Formats: sequence, structure tokens, C-alpha cells
Amino acid sequence: MLQFSKFFAVRAMLAILTLVMVSFIVFTLMELVPADCAERYVAFKNSQGSVITPEDIQVERVRLGLDQPYIQRWGSWIFNAFQGEFGDSCILRVDIAQLLGQKFWLSLGLCLSALLLAYLIAIPVGIIAATSKNAVLNNSLRLVSYLGLALPNFLLALMIMLFSTVYFGDSLTGLFSKEYRDAAWSTDRVMDFLGHAWLPIFILGWSATAFAIQTVRALMSDEIGKLYVTAASARGVSGSRLLMRYPARHALSPIINSVGFDLNRIFNELPIVALILTLTEAGSLLIEALARSNDQQLAGAIIFMLTASIVALNFVTDIILALTDPRIRKSIVG
Amino acid sequence: MTNITNTVPATNQKLKEAYFTASQGQLIWQRFKQNKSALAGAWVLIILILSGIFSPFLTPYDASIAGRDKDYLNGAPQVPSFCDDNGCSLRPFIYSYERTRSFKTNFRWVTEEKTDLEDRRYLTFFSKGMEYTFLGIKFDRHLYGVDEGQIHIFGTDSTGKDIFSRTLTAVNTSMAVGTIGVLIAFFLALVIGGISGYYGGKIDSVLQMVTDTVRTIPNIPLFMALAAFVPDTWSSEERFFFISLVLGLIGWTTLARRIRTHLLSERNQEYVLAAQLCGASPHHVIRRHLLPSFTSYIIVDLVISFPYMILSETALSFIGLGLKDPVNSLGVMLQNVTSADVLLNYQWYFIPVIFFIVLVLAFVFVGDGLRDAADPYADTNK
Repeated sequence: MLQFSKFFAVRAMLAILTLVMVSFIVFTLMELVPADCAERYVAFKNSQGSVITPEDIQVERVRLGLDQPYIQRWGSWIFNAFQGEFGDSCILRVDIAQLLGQKFWLSLGLCLSALLLAYLIAIPVGIIAATSKNAVLNNSLRLVSYLGLALPNFLLALMIMLFSTVYFGDSLTGLFSKEYRDAAWSTDRVMDFLGHAWLPIFILGWSATAFAIQTVRALMSDEIGKLYVTAASARGVSGSRLLMRYPARHALSPIINSVGFDLNRIFNELPIVALILTLTEAGSLLIEALARSNDQQLAGAIIFMLTASIVALNFVTDIILALTDPRIRKSIVG
Repeated sequence: MTNITNTVPATNQKLKEAYFTASQGQLIWQRFKQNKSALAGAWVLIILILSGIFSPFLTPYDASIAGRDKDYLNGAPQVPSFCDDNGCSLRPFIYSYERTRSFKTNFRWVTEEKTDLEDRRYLTFFSKGMEYTFLGIKFDRHLYGVDEGQIHIFGTDSTGKDIFSRTLTAVNTSMAVGTIGVLIAFFLALVIGGISGYYGGKIDSVLQMVTDTVRTIPNIPLFMALAAFVPDTWSSEERFFFISLVLGLIGWTTLARRIRTHLLSERNQEYVLAAQLCGASPHHVIRRHLLPSFTSYIIVDLVISFPYMILSETALSFIGLGLKDPVNSLGVMLQNVTSADVLLNYQWYFIPVIFFIVLVLAFVFVGDGLRDAADPYADTNK
């Protein structure tokens, strides 16, 4: 127990350290964007007709705290970020936490469902692919996983849109029907959401599924030829019972490690898929923030939150791994 | 390699000798050749790269706005045929077209195909066309064309640019972006992974921490943040190099990790110790002993990371943060395809996608084949 809590503490420390480093990278990038928030705001006011002098810019800078030294600003940014406060958006002048709020959780929900779907498909299919001697099955699975690489999610989304428009006359975009878009959450709205969400979830999970199938297959084929499996089958265990009780248990625990990277992969696809399928959530907000307006505060907040979810997921999977596998607990604490 | 040595008759000493004295490159090539899908991938790849390089000759028209056909906007692909209602001809032909607007068409501009005998346009080969410079020499011959007007086998886009010409140029652009990106990533990975692996200890821990952090941040959102720095006033060339640079700056982590792991395991090997005991300098040890032990792995990794670079560039350009119009790339070509108009009426906009899927697949097949071929234990395990 003591060992485990030590492991827990070390991992938590590492996760926080990673987040601090991420925040440093993100914050530095935000700083590098030409023109700071004060100049942008004042430039905006300028376009509205009021006359702006360099002094006004200076006053605005002091108000936003931009005159303080770099390290200090970074410190306060990261301090607030850990409490979920990212300040105001540069362009929209709205509190970022409020702006992102529901949208972020909705996107995270989509991504996690995509991840879940990917593994629900990949684990059984990967195991079948590793054990089956059927050449046709194996080759077609290989082709699918190659396609997962060659046809990235956003191209897949485009293709699905193309076919659905041509054959069904509906481009299958959006997360809600018109009447539910701004409605309060209700059972009907949830049903409507689920009716629309399956496609983005499938598309987001597409290449993650292909990669996960490859991983499961490789791990299973390594494990399946080992002596303990032969020994078990010599004792008369066979079929799926043999697979699930012996090689699968060993093969599947390293997979937990790859979950974090798969979430990363899904986040990579999120903004672009969101743009194509016109989902109004954090992903397309990121494009909005970067491509259209160069809103560094908002963009930084989104990247930080995406990375934080990955770090959190990595932390959780580490803990799960340690709970199931005593060797891992020992290796870290040493 | 057991299968090869077993099939060689004992009397055939020469072959055996050739096998044991073969260089690493020869062995890899030997194994690579046996992998049919990888070999096919390699051929496709070579053909695509060559057609990218020779695109000015292979394509009939300039891919930029200069080569537009103003009479054939959003035009459908034209397939040359030998026969029609007016009889057959030995030379393949297409029809001429005319843009008209009348009461019948609701006063919208409509392209009409004229199918009469005198409206046939015959396909010509090595026809004269746009001038272009290749290897410093001016040419004006193109692989194919028509005797009158223009031919667009993949159709045209909304400004009348030939999609086939754009596609081949785009292959070229993607290869160039990928090459520069991969080279930058390779350099960074070699330096960071090399330092980390050779020195080990504290330096290694710190560098690994940095590498892991960069790996944790989702790439595309980070690309987007970096690409947003590009001012609108930049020329397309500056943009091009900036995008390649950004791709390289983010893509180095996996390779750096691999190099580090390899160096860490190799530097304690006996052959390194032997060289050191013989008085070899660290420089000599790294260059003559350590590097050759994993050049093949590095090459394989570079090939594998190529499609990621291409796809990232496509994604960036697609959302409008990457390359912009005068430069052709798949992402640029796909920028406007999500509109209902294109989806319903102009599906030939999607033809370039096929080329890119084939390009990426070819890279993946070759990369996989190379990886298997470069692994000396691949056969003994089976």
C-alpha cells in the first residue's frame, strides 16, 4: 500500500511537471504572436471610430498586466490555468472559461467516445487477426489499417459527405437539428444529439481504430507463440477460453499505455473534422481563434486544456496499469 | 535468413560466401525484393515522384492562373473517345464547348458541348504549348494536347484551371514540403537524441522530459498555432518554407527517442569497448561504429515519417493556415470542396484525393517493407 501511494505521488508530480512545461511552451508561443492583446484591443476600438494614442495602448497594457516581466506573467497565467481561469479572450472580450465551458466538455465527450469506440472495435478484431490463419481476413484487415493511415479522418469525412450528399441528399453535418440547437438540455435534445453524434464519433475514431488494431495484433502475435500458451493448451484449455485467460491478459496491458497517444491522435483530427462537419465546439473554435482572428489567449487556453486532458488520461492509465501489474509499481519507485 | 541458407545446396559454396560477405545494404535489398507489396509500393512511389518532377512536360497546361481555360469553368472531365454517332475515327477526340447564356438557361452561364462532326478536337501527342523551363532549358512540348482549344481529362475548377495539371504539381509540392520537413526533423532528432543517448544521466533525463512534453501536445492544434504567425503579406515561397520548418520542428520527437534508445543500448556493447581500448577517439567511435549500426533504422524511420508530413501539410492547407493559392497542394485544392455546390455538381474536384491516398499508401508499404527488411531478426523469429 505504501509502495502504491509512493507510486501515485511520483506519477502525480510528473504529470504536474509536464503540465507546467506544456504551459511554458504554450505561453511562450502566445507571447511570440505579433502584437499583444492591448494593441489588438485598441486597434479594434480604432476601427470603431474612436481616436487612439500610444498612451492609450500603454494604459490598456497596464490594465491587462502586460507591463510585468515575462516570468511573472507566466506564473500568474499557469496559476490561474490550474484553477480553470484563462482570463478574457483577446478579440471577443469575453471570459474564456465561459466561452469554452460546455463546448469543451462536449468535444472532450466526443473524443472520449471515439476513443472508446476505437478500442471496442480494435481489441476483438486485433485478437481475431492475430489468431486467425485466414489469409483473406488477414489481408483485408491489413488493408483497412493501412487505409486508416492513408485516408486521414478529415479526408474520410469529406468522402462521407460527398457520398451522402450525392446519394441521400443530406450532408450529415452538425451536432443538433435546427430546433434543438439553442434549446436547453432535455431528453429530446439528448436523443437528437445522439442521432447526429454517431458520425463524428466514428470519423474521429477512424484512424485511432486502425492504429489500435495494429498494436493489438502485434502484441497478441508476440504473446501467442509463447510456451505458457502451449502449456495451457496441452492441459486441454482451448478456444476463446484459452485466448482470454492466457495471452490476451498479458498482451492487453501494454495497450493501456497507448490510450493517451490515441487521444492525442483524435485531438489532432478534431479541429479539422469539426470544420468539415460544422460541429460548433472547441475544435472549430480553435480554428476560429487562430485562422480568423489570431486570438492568442483563446488559442493558448484551448491547447493547454487539450494537453491537460491527455496528461490526465495518461496519469489515469498509469494508475490503472500499476493497479493491475505490480511490476510497474516497483519499476518506477525503484 | 535461414530460409535462404537452407535452400542453397551445400556444393554451391559461392552463393553462400556471397551471402556471408554481403554488405548490410545488399542484405536489406535482398529481403526487400521478396516482399511483393513493398516492391509494388516502391514502383508506384517512383512513378509518382517522377511524374511530379516531370509534371511540366506531362501536363498540358500551366497549373497556375496563367494556364486557365476561361471558356471551361467548373468543367467536367473530358474523356477522349474513338467513336460516336457520327462514326469512328482512328484518332481519339473530344468535343468543343461553348459558354452560352439565354432565356433557356435562365440567364445563367452554361457550358454546352457540341457533338457535331466538325466540332471534334483530335488528341495530339508531343504538342506545342506553354513554355516552361526544365533543368535550365526552355521547352514548349507537352506529352499530350488537342489540336484546337484545350483538353481537361480531370476537369477544371471554378477559375478554369486544369485539375490534372494541378494534381501533378501538387504531388511535387507535397514531396518538397515533406522532404524539407523530414530533413529538419532528422537533424533535430539526430542532435537531441544523439546528445541524450551518448551522454545519458541527467542530460538524458532532462531532454527526455522535454521530448515527452512536446509529444504530449496535440500536433495539429500546435501546428495551427504556429502557422497563425505567418503574416498575410508573405509570399508563397516564404510561406512554403515556413510551413516545412514548422512541420520539421514538431515532427522530430519519435525519431529522437529511437536514436536515443539505440545509442543507450549500443554504447555499452563490447565492440564499442574494444574500439575504445584500441585508443579510438569518441568521434571515431560514433562515426565508424555507432552510426553504421543504425543507419538502416534511421532511413526506415525517415520513410515512415514522410506520409505524416504530407498529411499534416494537407490538413494545414485545407483549413487555410498552410500554403495558399499560387502554390498547388492537395490541401489548397480541397479548400473549397465542402460547399454544397461542389458536393452536388462538381465531384471531379475530389479526383486528386485518389492520387494522394495512393502516394501515402505507397510510402506506408515501402516503409513497412523496409522496416521488415532492415530487421536482421525478422526471419529467424518465424
